[in-house]
Amino acid sequence: MNIALRAVSKKFGATAAVDHATLDIADGELFTLLGPSGCGKTTLLRLMAGFYRPDGGEIWFGGRRVDDLAPHVRNIGMVFQNYALWPHMTVAANITYGLKLRKLSTTEIARRLAEGLRKVNLAGLAERYPGQLSGGQQQRVALARALVLNPDILLLDEPLSNLDAKIRLQVRAEIRTLQKDLGITTVYVTHDQEEALSLSDRVAVMRDGVILQTAPPRELYERPRSRFVADFVGVNNFVPGVCRDVAADGATIDTALGVVRGVAADGVTPGGRCVLAVRPENLVVGNGGDNIVEARVILASYLGHALRYDVEAAAGVRLKVDVRDPLHHQPLAAGQRVRIGFGSSAALVLTDDVGAS
Amino acid sequence: MTSARAEARPRAGAGGAWWPALGIAAIWIFLGVFLVYPLARIFYDAFSDDAGRLTVRHFVDFATDGFYRRSLWNSLVLGLGTVAATSVLGFAIAMLLVRYDFVGRSLFSNLTLIPIVAPPLVGVLGFTFILGRAGTVNVLLMDWFDLLTPINFVYGVHGVLLVETLHLFPMITLNVVDALAKIDPALEEAAESVGAPGWWKLATITLPLTTPGYVAGALLVFIWTFSDFATPLVLGVHDLLAAQAYLNIVQFVDRRLFRMGIVISAFMVLLAVLFLIAARRYVAIKDYSSLSYSRVARRRLSPARQVLAILFLSLVMLASFIPYVGVLLASVGRGWSMTPVPLHYTLQFFERVIVETPKYVVNSFLYSIVAVGICIVVGVPIAWLLARTHVPGRDVLDGLNTLILAVPGTAIGIAYIRAFHEPPPGFDRGLTSFWIILPLVLAIRRLPYTVRGSYASLLLVHRSMEEAAASVGAGRLRSFRDVTLPLMWRGILVGSLFSFMTSLQEASAVLFLSLGGWETITVGIFSFYIAGSASEAAALGVILLVVAAVTVLVINRVAGTRMGGMFG
Repeated sequence: MNIALRAVSKKFGATAAVDHATLDIADGELFTLLGPSGCGKTTLLRLMAGFYRPDGGEIWFGGRRVDDLAPHVRNIGMVFQNYALWPHMTVAANITYGLKLRKLSTTEIARRLAEGLRKVNLAGLAERYPGQLSGGQQQRVALARALVLNPDILLLDEPLSNLDAKIRLQVRAEIRTLQKDLGITTVYVTHDQEEALSLSDRVAVMRDGVILQTAPPRELYERPRSRFVADFVGVNNFVPGVCRDVAADGATIDTALGVVRGVAADGVTPGGRCVLAVRPENLVVGNGGDNIVEARVILASYLGHALRYDVEAAAGVRLKVDVRDPLHHQPLAAGQRVRIGFGSSAALVLTDDVGAS
Repeated sequence: MTSARAEARPRAGAGGAWWPALGIAAIWIFLGVFLVYPLARIFYDAFSDDAGRLTVRHFVDFATDGFYRRSLWNSLVLGLGTVAATSVLGFAIAMLLVRYDFVGRSLFSNLTLIPIVAPPLVGVLGFTFILGRAGTVNVLLMDWFDLLTPINFVYGVHGVLLVETLHLFPMITLNVVDALAKIDPALEEAAESVGAPGWWKLATITLPLTTPGYVAGALLVFIWTFSDFATPLVLGVHDLLAAQAYLNIVQFVDRRLFRMGIVISAFMVLLAVLFLIAARRYVAIKDYSSLSYSRVARRRLSPARQVLAILFLSLVMLASFIPYVGVLLASVGRGWSMTPVPLHYTLQFFERVIVETPKYVVNSFLYSIVAVGICIVVGVPIAWLLARTHVPGRDVLDGLNTLILAVPGTAIGIAYIRAFHEPPPGFDRGLTSFWIILPLVLAIRRLPYTVRGSYASLLLVHRSMEEAAASVGAGRLRSFRDVTLPLMWRGILVGSLFSFMTSLQEASAVLFLSLGGWETITVGIFSFYIAGSASEAAALGVILLVVAAVTVLVINRVAGTRMGGMFG
């Protein structure tokens, strides 16, 4: 089932938690709301779930407008951040609670319970209490509780944030596989950009209640539309400047590093303030690409899969430069002078929505 | 240099190591002699005859005696009835206070705690002044409606039920408020999201999650009602087990009756043990339910409903405060009878109980101060052992401390009479012949408050603060003095004040053990009232009320805390 949000707003007191959010989520899509804490992503999810009523705008599930409906008539399944398993009920009782409310027959309830437990690989744990389960198991019980009702839409509120790093990767993959198998429209909230990139069909980045950009993971990473998105997703070098001219095949920008050629995003106008964004893995030590900068090594940090140099270029501009494959690289000493090169296709010219800092 | 230090350290450690061990031993001996031994003695006496042979004869006697069977039945019905009544009242008030917002909510949330800190014996007195046969309400009814015979509001089991309910409902409210406030809102939202209607959600999710706190409160209410003899006796009810236990023990003539008293007190200790087991069982769930990120938002009530809520709470408060008004009036009224309020006022009763016979006040304060001293000396180290160490027997220590909360004064009073009546080897008189027995029994009874107060504030002093002191060179004692103590003195003070106030209010255990010349305020109230001098009893009651009020004010000022956690 597809979801459509039309200018949905929600205020708490004077602050707008969600400000005119408009989204279209396709049937069967895994759609992620990504942003720092307080950006309104959880509020937006809870608006879809029905725990809040919007102050303005419309929420459509398929052909049905739902913004004034109670949560349980929207036919959603929800997984809460801390799972919200009822501690006084067994796993089976937790999962079948909603089924019993729907007055299904005993055999049907038993069948759905077994099916739900099998889906999340928890067969045999039906009579345990939540307190006797590991974090990963609790998470799967919460998922099963949401899925046994055959919801049209699955809503997940930071479901992995309470898990250990190793288990998080495993459960993340399980959720993705399950979601693909069931073909269920899913909205996923997280503040972890890596999680969002690896899991989603599309991602919406939010800040201060506003959706800044909606795009598939790859586009979000490679073609962020603003400085905030470029900064929040992955690592980036930023150099402020003034845009000189914009054309279809590229833009030129005046920065402290000199004139740099890059690719302009929407909203960048000649003569306006903007910012140059280049990711560390797109910078090379030595000559490479059509932009060359003189710099001095400050620090080298070994990251395992890469060696990261902090270098200082003209006018005190600091850049991070990654050397992939450190195995075949002779590290440079601090203070050594180097040339840093990057291609204009990897140099993005963005509007500066973070500030002149 | 380094090696010299390394050598010096262990010696100093070994040299100091037997002091803590000695302290722990002293605590265990104290608890062993003054808590475990008397309670064990009660069981031994209940199961043995005069020659010391083991027997169940006393229980057979008890079970075959129709009067005791009826008393047991009455006590059970009264206890369960009080639990039911306090539960309804306590839950309703807790839900209102935690989940809804209305004018005066915070005022009411403070007021509802007051009945529990008021001296129970004084409460009963007050009810008789206002609701008794010649009390204010009956006089008004007779004047206004030409009622010929007064309505019996309080004399009888129904009166005991009324008095106990209005005194004890905060025990439920406190525990349920605590539990409700800890419920993670997501647990209720999860129920909503799968389609639970409001009442069903309340019944299957919200109420079950409050069970741990509720069970502790309900058991304390039951034990309190089951073992309270002063209230029924003042209200003329004799066929209850606790009342029988008192009458049987204090008569000292008929050995068979005396044994029955012991059997009854063994029942009470058994109940307390039951409480301990139940409290332990629920600890795990209690921990789990406190895993919450935020609180359920309060719902603003509509104006009409606000009026209803305020009306309901005001009525409960009015009923709870009736006794204090009654006691106040009786203490200053001269020749008060057959009028709604006294016609003439006097201070002569205060003069009589303070100036002419100061022993009640002097004894009460002396015994309570000594008791609090013992509480601090024994209780603060226990709190420290519980919060900071894993010494063997730590669990037992914790269990004993919880057990004391539930052992009724009636049972421990009887236990002390049995345990300390005989002179120990080398003495010609038993401990019951010395007044120090009273501070000792008070200290044991009120120890949990000091331990809990200190324990709670010790938990606030994070261990790393002490470790930080140690890392810059402070020894253990030094870091305790410079870091821990300054941060936890409020907790000790609050716990001690609470122990002091409730020591002054202790009636049951003291009534059993008090001899001529040792009379405390509560003994005075009881004997004055039984002897028909209600005004003197009321004057003593007012003194207890003033002390309670001042103590609560000081506690609020010092800690800014509510008294949650002190009762279960």
